[in-house]
Amino acid sequence: MYAAIRSASLTGTIGTPLVVEAHVGNGIPGFTVVGLPDEGCRESRDRVRAAMLSCGLEWPNRRITVNLVGAGERRGGAGLDLAIAVGVLVATEQVEQHQVDPFAFVAELGLDGALRPAPGMAPLVACIADRPIVVGESALVESSLARPGALKPVGTLGELVAVLRGDLPWPDIDVPTVEIVRDRVADMAEVRGQSLARFALEVAAAGAHHMLMIGPPGAGKSMLAKRLPGILPRLDPDDAFEVAMVRSAAGLAVDGRVATSPPFRAPHHSISVNGMVGGGTTGIRPGELSLASRGVLFLDEMGEFAPTVLDALRQPIEDGVVRVARAHASVEMPARCLLVAATNPCPCGNGGRRGCACSPSAKQRYLRRFSGPILDRFDIRVSLTPPTAGDLTSSERGESSAHVADRVATARSVAVSRQGCLNSAIAADALDEVAPLTDDAMSVLRARLETGQLTGRGYHRVRRVARTIADLCGEPGPLDARRVEAALALRTRIDNGEPDPR
Amino acid sequence: MSAAHDWRHVAALASLPGITPRRLHRLLSVGDAATTWMRIRAGEQVTRDVDPALWSLWRRIGDDHVRRTAECLHEHRVRVTWRGHPDHPAALLADHAAPPVLFMRGDPRAFSRRRVGIVGTRAATHNGRFFARRLGAELALNGVSVVSGLARGIDIESHTGVLDVDGAPPIAVVASGLDVVYPAEHARSWSLVGERGVLVSESPLGTPAESRRFPMRNRIIAGLSEVLVVVESRARGGSMITVREAEKRAVTVMAVPGPPATPPCEGTNALLVDGCAPVTCVDDVLAVLGIDHSRAWAAPDHRTVPVGDDALLLASMGRIPCTIDELALLSGRDVLDVAVALGRLEQMEWVAHSSGWWEALSA
Repeated sequence: MYAAIRSASLTGTIGTPLVVEAHVGNGIPGFTVVGLPDEGCRESRDRVRAAMLSCGLEWPNRRITVNLVGAGERRGGAGLDLAIAVGVLVATEQVEQHQVDPFAFVAELGLDGALRPAPGMAPLVACIADRPIVVGESALVESSLARPGALKPVGTLGELVAVLRGDLPWPDIDVPTVEIVRDRVADMAEVRGQSLARFALEVAAAGAHHMLMIGPPGAGKSMLAKRLPGILPRLDPDDAFEVAMVRSAAGLAVDGRVATSPPFRAPHHSISVNGMVGGGTTGIRPGELSLASRGVLFLDEMGEFAPTVLDALRQPIEDGVVRVARAHASVEMPARCLLVAATNPCPCGNGGRRGCACSPSAKQRYLRRFSGPILDRFDIRVSLTPPTAGDLTSSERGESSAHVADRVATARSVAVSRQGCLNSAIAADALDEVAPLTDDAMSVLRARLETGQLTGRGYHRVRRVARTIADLCGEPGPLDARRVEAALALRTRIDNGEPDPR
Repeated sequence: MSAAHDWRHVAALASLPGITPRRLHRLLSVGDAATTWMRIRAGEQVTRDVDPALWSLWRRIGDDHVRRTAECLHEHRVRVTWRGHPDHPAALLADHAAPPVLFMRGDPRAFSRRRVGIVGTRAATHNGRFFARRLGAELALNGVSVVSGLARGIDIESHTGVLDVDGAPPIAVVASGLDVVYPAEHARSWSLVGERGVLVSESPLGTPAESRRFPMRNRIIAGLSEVLVVVESRARGGSMITVREAEKRAVTVMAVPGPPATPPCEGTNALLVDGCAPVTCVDDVLAVLGIDHSRAWAAPDHRTVPVGDDALLLASMGRIPCTIDELALLSGRDVLDVAVALGRLEQMEWVAHSSGWWEALSA
């Protein structure tokens, strides 16, 4: 008559344990799911029925009520299919309650009765700490990211029923061990020319400074950005698992190998706010921001992104977490990423010797698409010019990523041992202590402040970048004028409104 | 012809909806403005070229219009002049398309000085801007008033140069009403010109900056200039309209040579090919004006002179923009060193850059 089955549902990047109650009683035959099920869960009624019939199990022509216990929040997901099916089986006394009590069930059902992986298998499995979890055979690799010792893989619903009744032993399937692999990332040695941008990239990696590249098409903006993961420190196993978990929660393919290279995400500019920060109509899913967490989020053609999307990035980028609140749920997801953006200098993308064909107002309109607050987030802004013919044809290779990565790692450890965080996160009031300026350096900055070339916020940002440059050069002392001037050279002015020259 | 007008009624007629310079000229020719105003109010069609619908519209505008227009002008410290008014610029008396009425703020004595117009593209190069600023300053120092339009680019730079020095008063001719600052970021220069020189417009207060008004404004710039200097212009730029207006009035047109195959210099280079006199320094203009330029004032260059490696780098740069990588290759120095040096030189205003291309600013 009644059954209570353990399962889990997914909110954002985190699974939550959940009890599925099933009741089969007299009344007009029907199947209702209550307890604020989401869209996907309501569809599971039809999948569960078809799967049971396909496996030769008895489908009760009675009134079936399924309840997702804890009705406060809307949840669901296809991962509840199996729990609902088992609930109906127990409630119709095809399986005994005590036979299912030791297990939790997480799988989507195919119409043929096969157990399939549901989106977010890894976080779903991870949240059930107290008992083994029955998962589909095909979901084994993804599930083994979390609690590989507690998995009970089964092929079909029919097989599961036989096992639970004791007619068959648990199938003997090896749970794969997760491999942590050093995957290959594009190498900096392949970049020709662009010495200043290379240096900017190194500083960005060392201090975790967000970076904006301004340059015409073909200057190599995307090429450089793609090489940033290669000079960032490799992920430690915990972080690598976190990245894999987020990928799993987003429903992306996860194999049994956890890569240690930081993730690199380059969403197309047509992306919606929900796609970027997370959200969605059927439950809250992680967005690109969370997928890029602990890695690089690259916005190519930043001017083409919807202004709402760019503005939505501001708070998460500052806080390292994204909070998505909906009427039925509110979740926090990781957003600890390095933001790298690229843009053309103007609509035509030329400029310089060839001459730009854009009217000044068109140019300013283009650059005004980036709101001041979002531009402010970029500590480093660097102009790129196309490589010359000499650069392209020369056989000389640039410095390899491995060398740069060594310097970056050293600078990062210096920063962390000095102030406990990377340089981009130094609080403004701590700057005097960890990034003091020599008198020369002070006068350089004062001159820029007085002419209005530097804002108050920019002043702090330049000091943080200068600190990183000094760390890369192995200079622990106060920042001298050279370092500050180098930081200023990495802060190209964006001419998006022509002020009165006076 | 030049009847003794009452300024309030002239301003009221000039502020009527649907008025054009031609209609205004006719209205002011038939008698004194106050009488004309009464006749319009009485329903009389005073001249022939106006649509009957417009007459009836004008008739319904109350006498309040006269008072309000006058109060508004008073409030904005704007005066109105017309042909025959003592403050009206004499240079426009013989002009075939002269504005019948001018609104102005500031000191009209600037009109009796030697006057040179400086015009050019809004999308100017850094060197063009730099040249315009220097030329404006040096002309002002030599007692020549600079006539320009306070537009972006060359216009604003030339007047900025004038306002930077203590010299001849500037003359600015704008297209919108004097209370409508366009572009808004030039508000400071706009008010300074009104204080130190004279700010002129043909349009009554409140007139927005409509695109059709700019070519009309250009004819006044041409009419007020003795010599017109084009600093940079595209082949089909608004400055070329000013050039044609100047040619109609036999105003000498001079042009500043620019590097070949640079779009902002195509128009000026074409003018030089057509036989315009070139301007390479202020002396060239002073000579055409017939001013003794042997002891001409040069604008003081208050830029700090770079020393050491910075000076070497600056010397290796030309007016052709180049990239940091090229400069590093040229000077054999580290790219970051070059970037830092360029930052210093930019701070001292010796070089300028746009999207990664650097050029030296040479006078």
